[in-house]
Amino acid sequence: MPQSFRLAPLVVTALVAAQGCAPERVAAPSADSAAAATIRAGLLTAATPVAGGAEPVAPTGTGWAGLTGRFTFAGAAGDPKPLVVDKDTEVCTAGGRKLYDRSLLVDPATKGVANVVVFARKTSRVKNPVPEATVLFDQKNCEFLTPVVAARVGQVIEVKNSDPVGHNTNIANTSFNQLIAASASTPYKADTETAVPTVVTCNVHPWMKAYAVFRKDGYVAVSAADGSFTIADLPAGEPIEFQVWHERGPSNGAVSLAKPDLKWTPKGRFTLTLEADEVRDLGTLEIPAAALGG
Amino acid sequence: MNRQPILPPTLVLVVVTVSLAASGCGRTPAASFRPNLVAASRTVEPDAEAEKPWREWAGNRQRQVATILEAMFGTPDDPVVLPETGLDPAKIQLAAGPVRSDIAGRKNGLYREHCAHCHGITGDGMGPTAAFLNPYPRDYRPGKFKFKSTWRDAKPTHADLVTILNNGIVGTSMPSFALLSPAQVDALAEYVKYLAIRGETELALYTHIEQELEAQDSLPEDRGFLVDEILAPVAAKWQAVAEPSAQIPVAAVPAGIDFALGGDHPTNKESVEKGRKLFLGDGGCVKCHGPTALGDGQANDYDDWNKLVVEARKEVGGGLETAHGVSTSAMSPEDLAEHKARLEWLETRTRVLDGDALKPRTIPPRNLRLGLYRGGRRPLDIYRRLYTGINGAPMPGVGPSAPGGKGTVPDEDIWHIVNYVLSLPYDVDGELGADRAMAAKDRF
Ligand code: HEC
Ligand code: HEC
Repeated sequence: MPQSFRLAPLVVTALVAAQGCAPERVAAPSADSAAAATIRAGLLTAATPVAGGAEPVAPTGTGWAGLTGRFTFAGAAGDPKPLVVDKDTEVCTAGGRKLYDRSLLVDPATKGVANVVVFARKTSRVKNPVPEATVLFDQKNCEFLTPVVAARVGQVIEVKNSDPVGHNTNIANTSFNQLIAASASTPYKADTETAVPTVVTCNVHPWMKAYAVFRKDGYVAVSAADGSFTIADLPAGEPIEFQVWHERGPSNGAVSLAKPDLKWTPKGRFTLTLEADEVRDLGTLEIPAAALGG
Repeated sequence: MNRQPILPPTLVLVVVTVSLAASGCGRTPAASFRPNLVAASRTVEPDAEAEKPWREWAGNRQRQVATILEAMFGTPDDPVVLPETGLDPAKIQLAAGPVRSDIAGRKNGLYREHCAHCHGITGDGMGPTAAFLNPYPRDYRPGKFKFKSTWRDAKPTHADLVTILNNGIVGTSMPSFALLSPAQVDALAEYVKYLAIRGETELALYTHIEQELEAQDSLPEDRGFLVDEILAPVAAKWQAVAEPSAQIPVAAVPAGIDFALGGDHPTNKESVEKGRKLFLGDGGCVKCHGPTALGDGQANDYDDWNKLVVEARKEVGGGLETAHGVSTSAMSPEDLAEHKARLEWLETRTRVLDGDALKPRTIPPRNLRLGLYRGGRRPLDIYRRLYTGINGAPMPGVGPSAPGGKGTVPDEDIWHIVNYVLSLPYDVDGELGADRAMAAKDRF
């Protein structure tokens, strides 16, 4: 047997050891096999009748109520950064138009923060059926005209392209990534809820970005230019957990404010029980600059 | 005397590679599944109110997830197949574990023999060879697959997986396994699903942690939660593709197309011209594949697997930059402690991204003049690629996004684009001129 053959395993081992193992991996805790066996025994016992996902909340009240408020920004938002637009410039930047980063829009007059999303996480009752009306989601001059589009699961969104060039609209975590031809439109209906708004991009024009939020019950609002939002027709008489999201929120978009009365959690949530026919006004909700990353 | 070597050197290589893959570079003796630390480390953000230091409760939580997964799926050597997965335990047995023969003389451990050195024991696409390949081997854990007959975000059918294993993925390192017996290929396809369902279950647990749990809560461990709430929705998606309606409809090939004749045949001329117009116009293909179809349009994008890492690196990098820019001199002891915990967490995440994810690679649009089709070269395969686009990749679809939806291009017309695409490799004197069409520098 030639020497080299006998050495082969050694050489290979040395080679792989030398390059294959770098970089050093972070140590990960391993499973507790005894505990695993106990859990498994519980999983293999006669199947419980399947409840069909998470258990629904039991209704505890009657009547309907609203929630309103206004988000403002504490600090200077700074000038929006211009985006690098290097494709289809004859359309995208027609007439010397510039496109800007819209991740933080603060209205100079009112200090209002636009595009803050507020939604109810779970409710026991829903007042209105899924609207017949479609939601328009348009793009023009290589910019999505709605920075955050909200719709109900099952509601039709009209994905439109008002440009003379093609765009593809790619809604992350859904089945929708379709090419929309120049001046065309196509309907889309979400079939599942988004836990937080999901990003929408155009792969042809990489600077284009928006968000989409789909909720089963439709209890969602996107703040207007002056920062104001209203959610109507919420079920009264039950604790409702609300969540607040903004594109710049640090983890999963969470916006958390120091409001002791609301016990706002780091996940951007607070719980309220509304009374029938009331419209609860949270007043001015000032977001510190640090909460939106500077 | 001329003695034969006991083991041929190539076999030695395979054995060494496989055993290294099995043992994670020879440090741990028994094969074990690697936790998805990229997902885990995202969910353990230090919490000022937590009583324990974040490392400790994060470690406890990761241990609990590993334990739950072992309860539900067993280990690489000793798999557990819960009936609710819908998987066939006999097939999983054949594919799992170290390479060996069973009582009936059948070879077991097929996955580790044929796949693990690329796709990894865990199916994380990080076997020992993976870092050297482009594209990287598929990471099954998010349960996303590219080349299939179903709606864009639906799972592949069992037959789709078997087809991929039989054909391999041309133009990539993924080989064909047509030389294995049909029963072996079948078992391997089943094992890919097992690893995907396991990976998706792990992600669902971390999503639950992220969405529902406070810093130090632990996960419920009862059947109602683990099987009904976590596993069932994952498995349902795999079972749904058994329905015929899970497959996209295929329009009849319009008159005036005969794929057997080739794109330059007079019969196909009109159809190819229609296809070309759609390619440059409403189909939008030109935006990415370029006017010459060499794949030189929008070329610096990532697929979903790589994008996840790119975004995580950006987020962590930005976080570190901000944290380093903060002046600590005036901080209270509590704030300083929190600041340090945050820095430590961000540094750990950086190490996780370096060690548990591959360096992100872009996915350029295909050079369509090469005639290499990863998802298969039959007209039907190309039709499916164009109808839904390529799941997980930037490539959009021109068909409807769901049953009852509206396509950008009518279904029948997609066949004309297929015809045009299939004519491109032969289009020597088309828009490019004979020499540029296949110039070596444009090929790769
Ligand atoms: C030499 C490396 C290598 C080996 C060995 C290998 N693969 Fe792959 N595999 C790849 C690469 C690379 C890809 C990704 C190709 C792409 O993205 O276009 C891939 C992709 C896949 C896919 C995804 C297909 C899709 O539609 O997304 C499956 C499933 C798969 N491999 C299964 C297997 C199985 C099962 C084995 C063993 C029988 C195996 N592979 C062995 C490299 C390998
Ligand atoms: C947003 C960019 C984009 C657009 C628009 C686009 N593609 Fe692609 N295409 C890609 C990328 C990226 C890949 C490689 C995907 C992969 O391997 O995962 C690809 C791959 C392909 C492939 C190879 C499939 C295979 O099996 O290997 C074909 C064929 C193709 N595209 C044709 C088209 C046609 C025809 C159109 C127009 C109807 C089109 N593409 C539009 C980005 C695009």
